Amino acid sequence: MKKTTFPAFLSTAIVCYIFWLLLTGQIVAIFNGNAAPEVLIAGGLVSVLVALFSARFFIHRSAFYLFNPVKLLALLFYCIFIFGWELLKANWDVAWRALRPGKLKINPGIVKVPTELKSEYGLSMLANSITLTPGTITMDIADQDEKTWLYIHWLHVDCTEPEQAGDSIKGTLEKWIRRIWK
Amino acid sequence: MRIAIDILIGISIFFALAGTVGMLRMPDTFSRMQSSTNIGTMGVLGVIIGGIMYAIWQYGDYSMAVKIGILGVFYIVTNPISGHALAKGAYRHGYRPEQGFACDQYGEDLTDAD
Amino acid sequence: MNELLFGAICFVVMALCLVIRLIKGPTIADRAITADAIDILADMALILFALFTGRGIYLDIALVTAVLGFIGSVIVARYLEGRL
Repeated sequence: MKKTTFPAFLSTAIVCYIFWLLLTGQIVAIFNGNAAPEVLIAGGLVSVLVALFSARFFIHRSAFYLFNPVKLLALLFYCIFIFGWELLKANWDVAWRALRPGKLKINPGIVKVPTELKSEYGLSMLANSITLTPGTITMDIADQDEKTWLYIHWLHVDCTEPEQAGDSIKGTLEKWIRRIWK
Repeated sequence: MRIAIDILIGISIFFALAGTVGMLRMPDTFSRMQSSTNIGTMGVLGVIIGGIMYAIWQYGDYSMAVKIGILGVFYIVTNPISGHALAKGAYRHGYRPEQGFACDQYGEDLTDAD
Repeated sequence: MNELLFGAICFVVMALCLVIRLIKGPTIADRAITADAIDILADMALILFALFTGRGIYLDIALVTAVLGFIGSVIVARYLEGRL
């Protein structure tokens, strides 16, 4: 079990407190100038307590990485525009395959794809993005021959070459995630 | 404004319908999982964005809009985790489609390791 | 105003169609993903109904069912992998 460091604790507590403000609706009250102080104090206590116990599961190094505004803007741009467009295309593709009359036009299989990313957060973000686009599901991550490999279940397999399949599944996504997480 | 909200909810209903039909028609477990992702992404996002717009425009209630936004973020964050866990669990438990995979590079590496 | 109610009814009808797969599905994994999808569709109906009536309390119910459905499907996945 890893130990809790102070920056990790502080950033987890800040994120918990922002989440508390959003969920209780106090963030609107602060802007209107009629916030209830007892709710704010209780939220502070609870988020400090939660961060004390759970910070070591979330953050292992460089706790304030995302407080850098350039990275945060790049993350927002990626989430809204790049990923949204990929999501729309893939959704339309799978919906058309399911709704078209006659025989289903699918060819399911599991392919193996190399990736260049190194950090934990980048890998998990790439895997989650691939799973979230319909038509592909990440099944496992493995280290082999000094490279990181993703095993992906694909609804309609075009080609089984690792490099080529990787390009057509995660080409744009990986290029943008490398700008955020390295 | 009203028309934009109607269009967003209509998009959401269309993709949820496609996911439902896909789940009823697809032949094996993993393909059905792909169709259920269809429900969980676009079927959710249309209602979430339309709901935020409607709550601000009709009621002027910002805390309701924020709560709907939190629901949307929660769905988008947790949907891939449960999908990945279920796919891996089903594969490790030994479920395979009846007509077989087109290619199965995961199974080859698993038998090599054991 | 009425189109919100119409949308909620559409989502509920789709959830009822998925019950066929829930009964028929040959494996446990099929049933787990179908239950997850029914959960999501019911939550969408709840959000539209909350907007129709203007009461925020239905959104809290939707949040609680979303959390419970996520935990349930992760626990079923752990069981299938043989680590529970």
